Amino acid sequence: MTETDFLSLTPLLIITIAPVVIMLIISIYRKYEIIFGFSLVSLLTAFVSLFIVQPLLPHRIDHLMVFDLYSLFFLGIIFFSAFLIMLLSHDYFKHLEGFREEYFIILFTATLGASLLAVANHFIIFFLGFELLSISLYILIAFQKKKDYPLEAGIKYLILASVSSAFLLFGMALIYTALGTMGFQGIADAISKMGVASPILVIGFGMMMVGIGFKLALAPFHMWTSDVYQGAPAPVSGYIATVSKGGVMAVFIRFFFDIKGFSNQDFFIVISAIAIFSMFVGNLLAIRQQNLKRLLGYSSIANMGYLIIILLIGNNDGARAAIFYMLSYFVTVIGAFGVISLLSTKNREAEKIEDFKGLFWKRPWIAIVLTLSLLSLAGIPLTAGFIAKFYVIFEGVKSGLMLLVFSMIINSVIGLYYYIRVIAVMFSTGEETTKLPSLSIIGNVALTMISISILILGVYPGWLIDMIMKLVAL
Amino acid sequence: MLTVPLKILLLFAGTLFLLGLAGLLVRRNIIFMLMSIEIMLNSAGLVFIAAGRHWGQPDGQVMFIFILAVAAVEVSIGLALILQVYHHYKTLDVDAISKLRDHN
Repeated sequence: MTETDFLSLTPLLIITIAPVVIMLIISIYRKYEIIFGFSLVSLLTAFVSLFIVQPLLPHRIDHLMVFDLYSLFFLGIIFFSAFLIMLLSHDYFKHLEGFREEYFIILFTATLGASLLAVANHFIIFFLGFELLSISLYILIAFQKKKDYPLEAGIKYLILASVSSAFLLFGMALIYTALGTMGFQGIADAISKMGVASPILVIGFGMMMVGIGFKLALAPFHMWTSDVYQGAPAPVSGYIATVSKGGVMAVFIRFFFDIKGFSNQDFFIVISAIAIFSMFVGNLLAIRQQNLKRLLGYSSIANMGYLIIILLIGNNDGARAAIFYMLSYFVTVIGAFGVISLLSTKNREAEKIEDFKGLFWKRPWIAIVLTLSLLSLAGIPLTAGFIAKFYVIFEGVKSGLMLLVFSMIINSVIGLYYYIRVIAVMFSTGEETTKLPSLSIIGNVALTMISISILILGVYPGWLIDMIMKLVAL
Repeated sequence: MLTVPLKILLLFAGTLFLLGLAGLLVRRNIIFMLMSIEIMLNSAGLVFIAAGRHWGQPDGQVMFIFILAVAAVEVSIGLALILQVYHHYKTLDVDAISKLRDHN
């Protein structure tokens, strides 16, 4: 390895070294605040190092990893989301009994897995990142091992995520059998030279799509989503909805753009069917939900449907719209899960919609943040969600994907109903029910950051769109 | 030296994969489900080795070593979780521990 290799790996190395150092600190002096502070500083350092390595780009490390502006941008999204989740985890895990410091170690390994996916350019790194992410998530989900729901959610995720990685792996193996190469570029070259795709290759891509579909919670591979979202601790649910999906989305977009999958007619039909199915399944199942975490789980299925639809344009415009949509969805959904985690106490999660009754009159600030998040999910103007939906629909209409745009509009209307229902509950006046936990400074900072991000993306998105235009050129 | 043709190896690995999948769907005991997943992962490893020999590259075997390592990690985490489940519920039947569902 050369010096440039090491330099461009700096962000990943920081994320790798941080958990080791945390383990050492824990073995010397176990104190929650110190570990938390160190984790925050490490993530910030990793984020800053992205700007330092930028002049070295684009850089490839053998065939395994590629550092270009696209992967750097995704690393930025992943670190930023992980940073917000970490801020929101502080209060949630502080009150737990037993060992809590290890949570941050696992959070780092999971983030490392997602980052590996963002730089992957070869099946080996793809597989390693995918597995590192899944295995860390089993632990994160079942972190409160004495409780029923987290344990059950952990087992469910363990079984289903392992099956998904078995599918992914078998798909990779078949593609390797057919083409004799595992690097993304090699696969793209081999496919462009080949006339008719062999059955082995088609089955291979199909099985890879099953694995990716599981991870992105696309229908019909969505069965685990709401159970795991409900059972996992609220910050971890937020993590699954953002960082985990961000990493998989990064490698999904890169791989299928490299092999020009989106211009393949059969692949187009399959993805359209999955996307439309995901939208309807997610939104229809969410309508009658009484549990906010489950509701957000179902809405994430629908949102991933909106997101992959726009990739079907098959050029840079589609990828840019998808990435903008993803970023605004991430900020928004972290806000919603953040409110849940800040309102949860040691013994119970604030997840039932009736828990939020009259929240506006008791805790106006938290209620405003949740309202903002839900409005953004529904796509109301002045929020990030509106600009994102507008951008996606604009690009869709420009490329003539009318059926897809039409189903997206229908689904946005369905979505509006159940988001507004939660907001209505928050503003209704009700009798005093449960005692709400007090809000710490760290929680306040996180909520402020999230609401500012939602508003900035909604009111003044130009700079970010310009930035995505510049960075994302596949 | 007698060599097994690639087609036979692929068929064999595919059968193993389907056996694992069937076992996963039929079995209700978490340990057996984990074993079925191991079979699925190993069948993928077999395809990698067969393809590596077919193309005359070491890549397939390298990938298999990664699969072995990752599967070991996965099983160790899985068994730790299963221990917790057994402590908690005194059963390993997945239907008995399934409480998360809509409308409760």
